[in-house]
Amino acid sequence: MLKKALTGITQWDTAVEISGVTKTFTQWQRENTGQGVLKNLFKPQKKIITALDDVSFTVKRGEFVAYAGPNGAGKSTTMKLLAGMLQPTSGSVRVKEMSPDKERIKLMKRLGVLFGNRTELWWDHPVSQSFEWKKVVWAIPDDVYRKNLEMVTELLDIGDLLKTFVRELSLGQRMKADLAMLLLHSPEIILLDEPTLGLDVVAKRQMIDFLKKINRESGVTIIVTSHDMDDLEEMAERIIMIANGKIAYDGGFDGLRNITRNNTKVVVTTDSGISEYEVNLETNPINSLLRQLSEMEGLKDIEIRKAPIEQVIAELYGTWRGNI
Amino acid sequence: MVANRRTAGRNSAVSATCESFQGKKNGGTKRPRFTMFLHILSLYKLYLKMDLAWLFRDAKTAILMIIADVLSNLSAVTGIFLLAWRFDGIGGMSRHEVLFMLAYSTILTGIFQTFFCGGNTAHISRVIGRGQLEHAFIQPLPLPVQWLTSGFIPLSGSSNLISGIVIMAVAVNQLDLVLPWWWVFSLVLNLIITTSLILAQSYLSASLAFYAPVQAEEISSIVIDEFGYIGTFPLSGMPKALQITLITIIPTGLLAWFPTLALFGKPPFGFSAWYPLLFAIILWVIALFFFKKGLNHYVKKGINRYHPMGHRR
Repeated sequence: MLKKALTGITQWDTAVEISGVTKTFTQWQRENTGQGVLKNLFKPQKKIITALDDVSFTVKRGEFVAYAGPNGAGKSTTMKLLAGMLQPTSGSVRVKEMSPDKERIKLMKRLGVLFGNRTELWWDHPVSQSFEWKKVVWAIPDDVYRKNLEMVTELLDIGDLLKTFVRELSLGQRMKADLAMLLLHSPEIILLDEPTLGLDVVAKRQMIDFLKKINRESGVTIIVTSHDMDDLEEMAERIIMIANGKIAYDGGFDGLRNITRNNTKVVVTTDSGISEYEVNLETNPINSLLRQLSEMEGLKDIEIRKAPIEQVIAELYGTWRGNI
Repeated sequence: MVANRRTAGRNSAVSATCESFQGKKNGGTKRPRFTMFLHILSLYKLYLKMDLAWLFRDAKTAILMIIADVLSNLSAVTGIFLLAWRFDGIGGMSRHEVLFMLAYSTILTGIFQTFFCGGNTAHISRVIGRGQLEHAFIQPLPLPVQWLTSGFIPLSGSSNLISGIVIMAVAVNQLDLVLPWWWVFSLVLNLIITTSLILAQSYLSASLAFYAPVQAEEISSIVIDEFGYIGTFPLSGMPKALQITLITIIPTGLLAWFPTLALFGKPPFGFSAWYPLLFAIILWVIALFFFKKGLNHYVKKGINRYHPMGHRR
């Protein structure tokens, strides 16, 4: 019923389409010497930084995509391009089949943007005032606002924060309030830049569960960046990795492990003690591995661990540095 | 209420999620269409409420702030008025004509503060220089509508307006003026024109902040303040070259002196009484040209700077 109604209203399948996007910035530089200062007066030293270099990818409607990469890789630049805060040097950006630059107002009614290092909340007012501000600015109908407010208040457990002045909130509380405010207009696409920044384990858990729910049950497309790879793996099915302005990987998390040939670890406990082995499951299939292990004398326990994604990513970053 | 929500199971929470998002999508076609005008009115109403809540978050602070503002406004004009009193007028303007001009200038500042001083709307170079325009880009409103409405602080910003109206009432009474409706209309129109002049100056100068965000972050404030300081001084009796300079190249004379004389039916140098309107139109055309150019530069090059504080009060 719902899907039929939705199909009738919105005809779009591609949430995000980035084609051949290049984005360059000019960086001012100067040698820290008297000569450098003088030289800078007449001929300022500038360096062209290519934040994105002919980047292309698409995100389908309803996908949950992790967008990752080392510091300075171009993640935030991509987010800003999608949110219409920046324009590409070349190439095209389409979000929900609209140009963020030319159709900004129409797009912003359906897009939610959250940057972890900044807030959309009103500093000197209670959280609920910021929510009311959003209702008026976005012209959110009363019934939708009420339902969404109830939903975010419950799921993010922010009931106690609504009357609190924003300047009194901790970082984690502010992030939750910001995320709640982001969702009040029922965005169909959400861009999150470092949303788990500074959150404690419980708050992070709530946020991840919440994002997964709205993606799974409401079909909201989510693109999220984070440096916490474990969080990303838990949330997203697909990861786009960017390094030195280029797409370095686009696929599943297990595919990343295969790239680095990061072997599965098998911890075997026997009467004689604990031993740890690294096994390549491609050359040594799991059933033959289990058969071999079952024949071991004095076997008490077997633990099979996937290579930690953080370790995989660290290896990849090391490889990419200077290679791309 | 909150306790009840907390006791609700996860399943009900999930349903709430789905329903809410359905509600928006399905309800979107049914919701009444807001015209931009109605939306602007609702925004003004919102900012009025927010300003009231902000001012009276602490009654003691609010009262102190209002008293301090009124005293500060009165002292700002007292010096010039005392000079006019001592010398029985300044450069051909009588004591109470000078008082009328000071009242005009105070009301002008009041209107400017009431409508454009919230959220650094008038001091736009701060928003640009601090990389805070990005907050404006993600709102589904045209930028001019955002800046027209978000600066509205009718309570915390109106002390100049109220003081100015009181001073003007005294001046009008002393001058024995008979005020036909068209004169009052002309006064209001002049006030709107001169307010737009200050705003145009601010936006024109703020265009620099797109290219030099750190260096030009405060340029709007400097321009507005300097205009305010010089704009309150009666130029009558000054050398003609200076007067002409101050109504053309550095148009501070258009803020209070020129409109006051025009309202008394004696505009300087026989200029048309609507010269400030012409000047404002030309200034806005120039300001918009450079501001748009700067904005294009901003979205193409970006600003590698973000200051988290100051975009919201």
